[in-house]
Amino acid sequence: MSASEEYVFVCPDCEESMEVNPSMRDALVANGCVVCGAPVSIDAFTRVESSADP
Amino acid sequence: MGLEQETEMTREETDALLSRHETGVLSLASDDDPYAIPISYGYDADERQFYMRLVSTPDSKKREFLSGSPTVRLVVYEEAGRTYRSVVVSGVLHPIARDEITPEHVEQYGDAKRPLFEIWGDARKDLDIQLYVLRPETISGRRIELELDQ
Ligand SMILES: [Zn+2]
Repeated sequence: MSASEEYVFVCPDCEESMEVNPSMRDALVANGCVVCGAPVSIDAFTRVESSADP
Repeated sequence: MGLEQETEMTREETDALLSRHETGVLSLASDDDPYAIPISYGYDADERQFYMRLVSTPDSKKREFLSGSPTVRLVVYEEAGRTYRSVVVSGVLHPIARDEITPEHVEQYGDAKRPLFEIWGDARKDLDIQLYVLRPETISGRRIELELDQ
């Protein structure tokens, strides 16, 4: 469990893609895509391993 | 026949009208050129701000009018029996960059309807959907009641 849990969100409808944290992910699932308004499920998110930045 | 009574609406009545509607006419201008479009919005009555998604194509006229943070007017009106209500909002339309989007924005846009009037064809990748918040300088609501016995 890293403190900086990140996901990549790709909207199934408008194909907008953005990197999001857990609170953004929850907001998107609850409210739909912020860009186009389409419903969003948890499948629209892929966990990313944080890159090896210092 | 006559306009019997024109009244300034209270803040509560104005906010109620803006909240029960989700579309209006947004007016932009560039020098002497007017540009008015029907739009969908979500209204946050606590902050008194409007959240909008506006769609344009790369070389559309609309994009020209939307560039920067334009001064705009938004008109929302209704007609219910003998009562006519209208609200005129003037203020500045601020674009929200993708990397500025917060969970609070997501919630506000959840209440804003999809861009009902906008072209929403298949070539979505060619469409630029930009998020805006309209921060009003003035919000003025009026109600006109027509007389009963005419
Ligand atoms: Zn979308």
